Amino acid sequence: MKQFTTCVRALALSCLLLGAGAGAAAAADYPFGLLMVGPANDHGWSQAHFEAGQVMEKTLPGAKMLYIDKVNPADRQGITVPMLVDDLVSKGAKLIIANSDDMKDGVREAAQMHPEVKFIHVSGDDALTGKAGANLSNLMGRMEYGKMMAGFVAAMTSQTGKIAYLGPLVNAETRRLAASAYLGAHYAWTKVLKKPEAELKFKVSWIGFWFNIPGVTSDPTLVTGSFFDSGHDVVISGIDTTEALVVAGQRRKEGKAVWAIPYDYRDACSAAPDACLGVPYFNWIPGYTKMIGEAIEGKWQQQFLWLGPNWAAINDLQTTSVGFMPGKALSADNEKALGEFQKALAGGLNLFTGPLYFQDGTPFLSAGIVATDEQVWDLTQLLKGMEGASK
Amino acid sequence: MPSSPPEPPVNRQTHNRPMSPSAARHHLGSLAKFLVIALLALGTVSLLLLALGISPATIAITLAKGSILSWQKFGHVLSIFSPLLLASCGLLFTFRAGLWNIGVEGQVVLGAIAATALLRQGSLGLPPGLVLCAAMLLAFVGGGLWGALAGWLKHRGGVNEIFGGLGLNFVAQGLILWLILGPWKRAGIASMSGTDMFARELWMYTPPGWRVAPAALALALAALLLSALLLLSTRFGLRVRAVGLNPLAAPLFAINPARTALAAMILGGGLAGLAGGLQVAAVYHRLLPPISSGYGYLALLVVMLANSRVSPVAPICLFFAALAAGAIQLPIALQLDSALSGVIQGSCVLSALFVHGWRQRLREAR
Amino acid sequence: MLELINIDKRFGRLQALCGVGLSAREGTIHGLIGENGAGKSTLMKVLTGFVRMTGGEIRLRGNRVHPGGPRDAMALGIGMLYQEPLDFPQLSVLENFIAGQAGYDPAAARQRLARLARDFSFHLRADDLVGDLTVGERQQLELLRLIDGGARVLILDEPTTGISAQQQEMLFAALRRLKATGATVLLVSHKLEEIDLLCDEVTVLRHGQVVARRSRPFDRDDLLRAMFDVLPEREGATPKVAAGPPLLIFDRACAGSGRSALAGLSLTIGRGEIVGLAGIDGSGQNTFLKLAAGLLAPTSGEVRLEGEDCGPIRRPTLGVDTVYLPADRLTEGLFPQLSLREHHVLATPGRALLTPSAGLEDTRRAIAMHGIKGEAQQPVQDLSGGNQQRLLLSLIPEKTRLILMENPTRGLDVHSARSTWTLLRRRLEGQGAAIIFASPDLDEVMREASRILVFSANRVVLDIPAREASSQVLSRAITGQVDALVAP
Repeated sequence: MKQFTTCVRALALSCLLLGAGAGAAAAADYPFGLLMVGPANDHGWSQAHFEAGQVMEKTLPGAKMLYIDKVNPADRQGITVPMLVDDLVSKGAKLIIANSDDMKDGVREAAQMHPEVKFIHVSGDDALTGKAGANLSNLMGRMEYGKMMAGFVAAMTSQTGKIAYLGPLVNAETRRLAASAYLGAHYAWTKVLKKPEAELKFKVSWIGFWFNIPGVTSDPTLVTGSFFDSGHDVVISGIDTTEALVVAGQRRKEGKAVWAIPYDYRDACSAAPDACLGVPYFNWIPGYTKMIGEAIEGKWQQQFLWLGPNWAAINDLQTTSVGFMPGKALSADNEKALGEFQKALAGGLNLFTGPLYFQDGTPFLSAGIVATDEQVWDLTQLLKGMEGASK
Repeated sequence: MPSSPPEPPVNRQTHNRPMSPSAARHHLGSLAKFLVIALLALGTVSLLLLALGISPATIAITLAKGSILSWQKFGHVLSIFSPLLLASCGLLFTFRAGLWNIGVEGQVVLGAIAATALLRQGSLGLPPGLVLCAAMLLAFVGGGLWGALAGWLKHRGGVNEIFGGLGLNFVAQGLILWLILGPWKRAGIASMSGTDMFARELWMYTPPGWRVAPAALALALAALLLSALLLLSTRFGLRVRAVGLNPLAAPLFAINPARTALAAMILGGGLAGLAGGLQVAAVYHRLLPPISSGYGYLALLVVMLANSRVSPVAPICLFFAALAAGAIQLPIALQLDSALSGVIQGSCVLSALFVHGWRQRLREAR
Repeated sequence: MLELINIDKRFGRLQALCGVGLSAREGTIHGLIGENGAGKSTLMKVLTGFVRMTGGEIRLRGNRVHPGGPRDAMALGIGMLYQEPLDFPQLSVLENFIAGQAGYDPAAARQRLARLARDFSFHLRADDLVGDLTVGERQQLELLRLIDGGARVLILDEPTTGISAQQQEMLFAALRRLKATGATVLLVSHKLEEIDLLCDEVTVLRHGQVVARRSRPFDRDDLLRAMFDVLPEREGATPKVAAGPPLLIFDRACAGSGRSALAGLSLTIGRGEIVGLAGIDGSGQNTFLKLAAGLLAPTSGEVRLEGEDCGPIRRPTLGVDTVYLPADRLTEGLFPQLSLREHHVLATPGRALLTPSAGLEDTRRAIAMHGIKGEAQQPVQDLSGGNQQRLLLSLIPEKTRLILMENPTRGLDVHSARSTWTLLRRRLEGQGAAIIFASPDLDEVMREASRILVFSANRVVLDIPAREASSQVLSRAITGQVDALVAP
């Protein structure tokens, strides 16, 4: 009896603390949810999504963003993607964007639970592989081009010929992007600078996740430091946050000739402008506008959207999905060379053209053969000439 | 001689405080104490919120809406409640045996690893229910062994269970990272996002519209009942408590304190391991680095708040689970950091510790 | 002039000091003697502020003072030298010397230390590690530290325990020198030789009261009588039971180390005997009890229970042949928060599943039989000391043959002590059991035991039937005057 009353008392406290009652959220015509893997102000991947979402609220009639950031099991312990989707749906979200490859399984599960809600999984491929229902689409930008430009300016600038790539975790996407950066660098080194191929070193280190999780991932600050210590003078960041650039900025203050190229976010150079050669970035406005716009108009269809740059205006936010913002540290000559490179890409130059070999020496593409989208998307190994783990 | 009113016999046993030599004597004060703790916690949190310019009522309504005011949300609460209750039941054994089992976190992790070792093999042609049962058994064994290791370190190595437990937590974390980035990594991918998902039939069954696997909830409640029976109504439970209260006197009563403490560590670790088993089989359907979701540490708070008594554990777990689930609403609805729920939990525990300590002082001053 | 006037100190129910008065003049050495538990240590703790008195006053040079702790006492010029050195073994001599001083000036301190050491003819090197010094040297350092800190009243608690004869000489010389400079020295001791050698006056404490004040020259027998004076035998004194067949045999047993070691012990304890162990605390009584209990294995020789094969004695618990009841009942014998009933459940084997009323009947019966004032469901910490002891006795099963006890009536009032012994005697009736107990209370040993063993210097120096024992013989044996030795 006593135990029972104790239980009742504790329950009463729960109710007391939790309060009771209901307040109705202001209903918008088309609320959409955004699940971001990192903080909304990370000066990187998540912030790019967040800002695009804010633009949608202004440009699409009735659009209203609900968002949850730091959606990863380390930051939100015990919380799963389907739970968060439940929450967003109960708030009225009719479409939900999940911005991390990491959420793939959860989004697929949530999409099955909520067939009436539309899902956009950014960077996934369930729509391509047919693992998902009709309410799940994929959206991605052709960052390969951005990374090629990053690799290009890195090789053009490097004095030691040693370029490093600060990778997140290893998967097909990140292999693809690291390989693109390598191909850009290789092009600049051998075709523009006309230096021997063997003198170009390209090293990849994976920290384990898209951003630093103390005690769990390698510390990107330390990894970048060791890159510079071992003679690399340009670090291309493949992670969502700006540690590489920050470290480069510190080293420059100490008088070292080092540079970095951040990732994901248009204004990422602001963390250390003097060390920044430029930043390849995603611009989600065109993709969001198309997909959410279609959904609002009732024209939703499942699709796998892989959008590239607007070569005519590579930094025009209304039209380009991938851009490259030159940084203060990029010399005028190299900026001109970059312009030539962009023109060549726009004109049909495809660096994923044979002969190319995988890291283990097996042939990838024989001479003259151009890779298909699928081959690039599912790149199984790093390329020959790159140093670092493929798996 | 201080007078002590005659009391109903049945509740004597629940009255316990393993870490301090003198225990509460008066049940009459129990309600008052409870109210004081609740008011103190509520007051602290409210003042803090007011200082930040946030209305406590808004927070309370938001949290409630995010946790108990719909069946779906309550399902979320229960999916947190189940593993948390298991870990807390495990800690009841060790706390009552006088052991600060900080290693509970690692025991949860080892349970998850042990269950994953089986579940990632697929159903092996066996009925999925059988495989899941075997996985839960393995989870119990995994956590129990990890608990036994901490107990053994204390008994044989003279390592205090707090330090031994902390060390083993680090080892468990290292082990899980190694497995996920090494032998158990996804095909072609080494990432922090965990192993491959288990075969669909090995997900603990969750009916449509539910957000908690009924079997998980049943397992947790069964564990609670069994723990209550063992701790309150068996000779073993009495011996555990006796050792916790005064290991020096145990030999006189033919109780081996080390062996009893080890048994408590094994049972406690096993229950914590079950919590880890549920995390992989019912919640995440794969192994990922933060698989414990911090439930081990949260369970420490639960059992401290419960003062190592059995009866308050379930309601406190439910309350904490509701806070954790409801906290998602804070960033969505109010753009507040959901860590605020941690502040509320912390305030409750600190208030409880403060009130226990204060009463103790009062009693000693008398 | 240091005056303690009418000092009272109560610990709960226990009256540790009752109206104690003492006055010591400057330039004298004042002895404080009494048996264990007479209240000497408590009195000194009151003086240094470790313990707050419940009544009375302390006057120093006519002014009433209230030392609130060692620091206060030091400020008043009262310094105490403890039995165990309270220093920092990891630090150097000089660092220990400085520790606790207000300022920090190592150079000046080094000079002062050197000068003081020269004055007292101590050989202390400032940079030696204190951990490497002997107990005597650490004592010397502590003494210098106190003097340097301005102590004019010095309290020494059993200062000659554990130091060499030469160091003892140096210490005595130092004390005489302090006396000559007008300091007041309070010497707490067991040893009458030291009193003879050093003291001008002596105060004798017994059971927390002053029983005698004497000045030089001292009559040793007179002091012994005051220390150990035996109460008049109660009417109807309990009959001494005759020794029955052998139960416990010590055969050239050696065990333990240091002061409490025992060497080459051979004796036999018979059924029906009540053996009282006497001696200064830690003279081997505990080692004897632990050997008998099987808690300690002899390093050589043998200890065995008759009837058992030569294997080791089983560990004593409630349930086997031997039970060992500790002196500190609440810390080593009982679970404070558990109820009487729960203790009975734990002490008796039975079913694994327990109902809330399991063992209730047995407990109630035991409560009635043993006259325990308490409820079956009450936590034992609420019981008085006497009831706790009776509860422990009620837990001892019938079949127990050997009951070992440390200080069975510690902290008990006269009534409780008497009832404890009544219950214990009941155990011996017709069951062939034996009781061995150690007690610092010589009255108790003489009153309750049928046979008395006196321990001193790692040996049993006296083994006599209680009826032949007199307080004089016993007290001489205890204080190490072994002319009365009856070789075992």
